[in-house]
Amino acid sequence: MKLSLSWIRDYVDLPENTDLKKLAYDLTMDTVEVEDVEYVAERFRDMVVGVIKEVLPHPNADKLRICRVDIGVDEIKEIVCGGINLEAGMRVAVACPGAEVRWHGEGEPVKIKNSKLRGVASYGMICASDEIGLGDLFPASQEAEILDLSAFDVPAGTTLADALDMNDVLLEIDNKSMTNRPDLWGHYGIAREIAALYNLNLKKIEPFEADATSDFKVEIEDPDRCPRYIGVEIEGVGVKPSPYQMQNRIWKVGMRPINALVDITNYVMLATGNPTHAFDADNISDHIVVRLAKEGEKLQLLNEKDLELTTDDLVITDSEGPVALAGVMGGAKDSILPKTERVILEVANFEAAGIRRTALRYDNRTEASARYEKAVDPERCDQALALSMEFFKELYPEMKVSGYCDKYVKKLKRAEIDVSLTWLEKRLGKHLTNEVIRNKLEILGFDVQIDGDNMHVIAPTWRSTGDISIKDDVMEEVARMYGYDNFEATSFTTTFEGAINQKDQDLIRNIKEYLAIRCGMQEVYTYPWMNDVFVNAVLQNTDGVLRLSTPPAPDLSYIRSSLLPNLCEAVVKNERYFNDFAIFEEAQVFFDRNYTSPYDPTESLPEQKRHIAAAFASSVKKIDELFRDAKGVLEYMPRYTHMAGFTFRKEEKPVWADNVVWLNIYLGEEKIGDMGLVAKKVSMECGVKNLSVMLFEIDATKLQPLKSRTNRFEHLAEYPEIDYDISMLFDADTIWKDMYDVIMGKKKASALIKKASFVDEYRGKQIPEGKKSVTIRLTIGSNEKTLTSQEIEKAADQAIKKLSKAFGAGLRTQ
Amino acid sequence: MVDKINEILSEVKTKIEQAGSESELQSVKGAFVGKQGSLSMMMKELPKLDASLRPQMGKMLNQAKKQVTELIDNKRMELKLKASEVSPDFDCSVPGNLPLGGGLHPITQMCYDLNDAFRSMGFEIFQEDDITSELYAFDKLNFPQNHPARESMDTYWLEGHDSGSTNEKLCLRPHLTGGSVRYMQTHKPPYRFVYPGRVYRNETTDAHHERAFFQYEALIVDKDITFTSGKVMIKSILSKVFGTDVPVRMRSGFFPFVEPGFEIDMQCQVCGGKGCSVCKHVGWIEVMPGGSPHPNVLRAAGLDPDEYTGFYVNIGLDRLVMMRYGVDDVRLFHSADLRFLRQFR
Repeated sequence: MKLSLSWIRDYVDLPENTDLKKLAYDLTMDTVEVEDVEYVAERFRDMVVGVIKEVLPHPNADKLRICRVDIGVDEIKEIVCGGINLEAGMRVAVACPGAEVRWHGEGEPVKIKNSKLRGVASYGMICASDEIGLGDLFPASQEAEILDLSAFDVPAGTTLADALDMNDVLLEIDNKSMTNRPDLWGHYGIAREIAALYNLNLKKIEPFEADATSDFKVEIEDPDRCPRYIGVEIEGVGVKPSPYQMQNRIWKVGMRPINALVDITNYVMLATGNPTHAFDADNISDHIVVRLAKEGEKLQLLNEKDLELTTDDLVITDSEGPVALAGVMGGAKDSILPKTERVILEVANFEAAGIRRTALRYDNRTEASARYEKAVDPERCDQALALSMEFFKELYPEMKVSGYCDKYVKKLKRAEIDVSLTWLEKRLGKHLTNEVIRNKLEILGFDVQIDGDNMHVIAPTWRSTGDISIKDDVMEEVARMYGYDNFEATSFTTTFEGAINQKDQDLIRNIKEYLAIRCGMQEVYTYPWMNDVFVNAVLQNTDGVLRLSTPPAPDLSYIRSSLLPNLCEAVVKNERYFNDFAIFEEAQVFFDRNYTSPYDPTESLPEQKRHIAAAFASSVKKIDELFRDAKGVLEYMPRYTHMAGFTFRKEEKPVWADNVVWLNIYLGEEKIGDMGLVAKKVSMECGVKNLSVMLFEIDATKLQPLKSRTNRFEHLAEYPEIDYDISMLFDADTIWKDMYDVIMGKKKASALIKKASFVDEYRGKQIPEGKKSVTIRLTIGSNEKTLTSQEIEKAADQAIKKLSKAFGAGLRTQ
Repeated sequence: MVDKINEILSEVKTKIEQAGSESELQSVKGAFVGKQGSLSMMMKELPKLDASLRPQMGKMLNQAKKQVTELIDNKRMELKLKASEVSPDFDCSVPGNLPLGGGLHPITQMCYDLNDAFRSMGFEIFQEDDITSELYAFDKLNFPQNHPARESMDTYWLEGHDSGSTNEKLCLRPHLTGGSVRYMQTHKPPYRFVYPGRVYRNETTDAHHERAFFQYEALIVDKDITFTSGKVMIKSILSKVFGTDVPVRMRSGFFPFVEPGFEIDMQCQVCGGKGCSVCKHVGWIEVMPGGSPHPNVLRAAGLDPDEYTGFYVNIGLDRLVMMRYGVDDVRLFHSADLRFLRQFR
């Protein structure tokens, strides 16, 4: 919302030398956020009023003229102009070199320079209203019409800002910062707040005394929705422009001047925050009834929208039906028309929530509804009425009030709150004297009675529509008026009850740090919604997958039950730049099942888990390498992150996995995840080009952090241990696990073999079809002595013999 | 002959001293004590000498040879200690090898930094589910029905759960504060916890607006807490994040779930408060809302607001990370783009 400082000064004696930066700062700190302070005259820098002395034809262009213009300097300036209404003697706005204008009112501002137009030198520019941002204040009636300022009786050379009374300052206030302060939605309200902040005198708006002749009547059927309605029938008015001063103010704060009757209503709203409305009285049959619309009733609004009303819409009606949507917008039929001579002025109060519902229902929010939905107090009608009548008298000295009716059916009750002073001091963390507290509140219009420890506070009417309702609200008023910066920071006390011990939290962090730091993988975050392409490719089945009712895009409606689709998408995105990378994500997944809530018996939340998933993507590594990378990350995870270890089984192939390369991950007897190579078909559907992609996903909610680190100390070997490599030929389908069991299983090949490790496997040249060569490293040693080479050979030989016997394997001969 | 030997000796000493490398030493050795070396040649001339002189001269020559050999050996050792294992043109300006190339997401890093700071002040870390009900997203937070805020946070409702009473309507949480109520319901006061998490708003995205972003909530609730204690909390966070004491200010602000409510600004770290385009020339940047939990929120959590009060802040992690690194597009955080993420190892 924009506020004019000169308008604010109508109501509060703000000293001329007020530091506006400080004013903006103080309002921001204590009341509402001032986003900008604008000096309006800045918009008209280097613009002056010029008087056209002579209009000459342009030698090289039919549509251009050369104007000889007096701009208050010694020399008459020649300005080339294409305006169609140029005449000698006319006052015009001249943008001198340095001024900024918008060509034909559009695009970015352009700086005026001395230039030549079709071969004739031109000093600056004679402006149309929209070229200098005045289109709404001085609307042009046709193309290429120059702004005619002849009505402004000022000498040539007067700055445009002076001539048009633009030496004002606008405060731009963040609307969001005052949604809870209906009293501030007008110049008077901000003036009142400034008066309180600086202890200045606030001008009163004297109430209007009605002196009506006719028996004009208003009926209110629903006092809750319409607590007050004042109707004033005024004769002897007509449609004409409002005074420039009024137009100027309405325009500065962002509305458009229309005509005197409409301008009065808008001006009063901008001044008091209470919307008002004027009906053409000749179009109102009988008297006014404020009621809820009936089933099937229709109304055409001022903006020509046709509404089918609901029984929740409050309407202003005459004997024929609805004439206005209460608090939102007038109807087309009964609005002010060029021939209007008699009006009914509406100054009313409507209940906030109802106005809001109606405005939203028809997507028709207006300046009026924006104010009513903040909860305006009905007492404010008095100010709005008084100010309106003042203007009617001023603008139409002949006018007569022929009818008047003030129906105030639901009186506002001022909020009354008891506050314990002890409580207040405790919450403020600072002792303030009763006098200071009383003063801070009274200056805001509160009535304060202090009796011992109890302070009885009565809020002013303009703060009594919900804004001030509990003692915490009163505390806030005292604190902000005292100044938040004047409270010193106080530390809070620590009670030592032992160290924070959150193993589950630590485990997730340990895992993420393990993956990132030890395994060299990059953490990513992706959205909770999944793209249909990846859902179809990776999940293949959407049973039990939840969806959004208004998704970010039609193909992003599923929310994830697995992290894998989005990880595959991340792989595809990164393939353009990288050929070997590993990423992981930790996030929540959701399932349409097991609805329950541990917090509220009536609440039912779907099953939600925390998953950790990873993708290893490479076009340079072989698949067995990639597989061992991924499996290694999983195998060592429990050890490095201090949790119960898991095992691998081959029970149920994940749908996205290759037929051979996959494993299920088990914790005890429970499956907690999968790993595997993405099947070719799946990766093609995802749009992967050359990468092989290995995935794993585990359910982190199942992981069990250890209470403490558990691996035990082992004595260092006293006697040397020897690594002894053997390479043997096996049938190609013999698996490592079986080989290992033969060497290290229950019937150990030799007590001297401490460890057997897989080194590599080889197929191809020199290896017969259907066979593979596997190199195994045996670690051989004794706890009792240094072994001789014969003893070492013998131990190795026992392993070789056992493997030969079990698999028919033979030593590989080079 | 004696003169000649001495002359050779002094010549050889100079040469050894001047020798700068092993190969130079070798040639010196060859020239004096090698088979064709000058001392060896003199040895060969001994038989021609008068017999009485021979023993003395022989002795002298041998001593000279021995001395030269020693000098050469010493010099050789000296050269070895001075020299490098590689050639002198070894390039030390080539870059080092990258250690394992992984990293945590910059948001996670910021979150862990804050967790560490708060843990050191005795705060617990709390985590809750992303899907919540309207009951916890709005009702329990003192948002009246029809309150503008219910819409201003355009919420992602779940299909099939987007109508009915508020305990049945489900959504991706629009903020974390409802989860704080869950914590308070299930723990005994006093409370001191932080609550990091991701929240979702159905918004049009641009460089400064995202549909999914991260918040970090901190809450203390106790019997004698004043809002001024909140200042300590805020200062601790910001000094942890930016590494220096950052001036902060609390100003009046309105949120339904706090009373009183504050907008908390920090001094712009780009211009140091002088005013620049980042802070829209005011010198301050809005970083978080805060305030004392509204009595109705405490009641919803089962506490007596006459007995308990507290202080709460809710930090936008994305915005803090953007300020920390000068990131200018919030959408990068969910891009999974390694070119971006790898900058924050």
